[in-house]
Amino acid sequence: MDVSMLQRTYSDLLTSLFREGILNQQFTELQQLQDENNPGFVFEVVSLFFEDSGRLINELISNFNQQAVDYKKIDAYVHQLKGSSASIGAEKIRSVCQTFREYYDKNDIQGCYNCIQPLNQEFVTFKSKLEALFTLEQQIVAAGGSIPMMRH
Amino acid sequence: MASGRVVKALVVDDKYLIRKIYGTMLVRLGFEVTEAEDGEVAVNYFVEGNEYDLVLMDKEMKVMNGVEAIRTLKTMGVKEKMVAITSDESCNEAFLEAGVDAFLTKPVKFAELTSVLKTFDLLN
Repeated sequence: MDVSMLQRTYSDLLTSLFREGILNQQFTELQQLQDENNPGFVFEVVSLFFEDSGRLINELISNFNQQAVDYKKIDAYVHQLKGSSASIGAEKIRSVCQTFREYYDKNDIQGCYNCIQPLNQEFVTFKSKLEALFTLEQQIVAAGGSIPMMRH
Repeated sequence: MASGRVVKALVVDDKYLIRKIYGTMLVRLGFEVTEAEDGEVAVNYFVEGNEYDLVLMDKEMKVMNGVEAIRTLKTMGVKEKMVAITSDESCNEAFLEAGVDAFLTKPVKFAELTSVLKTFDLLN
């Protein structure tokens, strides 16, 4: 695939991530913090999110599978996940975390439980799409091109 | 703000991801940034004689939370500007009582941070 086609694919993917509500404006904030002094900033921050949040979600699922579920601990995990996802612009993940906390505040345990699978699914989707985005970035740079700058 | 002087910031949050984001924003604004993973580490930096022009403080942290850390620093006589980073306004009262100078709500936007720092005359 030539550079212009790669750039077009990248732009289309990024646009779709915003259109589908997977990313929000906070992601653009991160992109604007990336510069020649900090060229891998977005990749580094998102990679940290993958690692941190993957661990949190595994802890959530594990805790829900216990006989005696510690909902206070689970809420603490979701609070962390909400903060992290909001900080990088992972809108759908943030939104499911928000929904979970609303159920928790109402002591709606079934509601809380019903959020876990969607939360995991949104994380898997987010990770997959952002990894595809970063792969395209690497391919563009390797082909001698520049990453398209886009406004959202 | 004297030109040429290095302005120093202390970013206090238990998540490295968050410290990385705020730290990068502050470096972009010309700050030299130090990080602390909880309130106790932040307090100890001051006890050791370090000086900062600005402290960005999260609320929920293990060992010592942000409200307690700001209260402790104010009791120690620390006069540097302290900005609380909160999830929502329900946290504000406790921080106000502790002596915070300003609030920012997560997720922090670069323009909002810049605006607060301008009010403190901390930008060259």
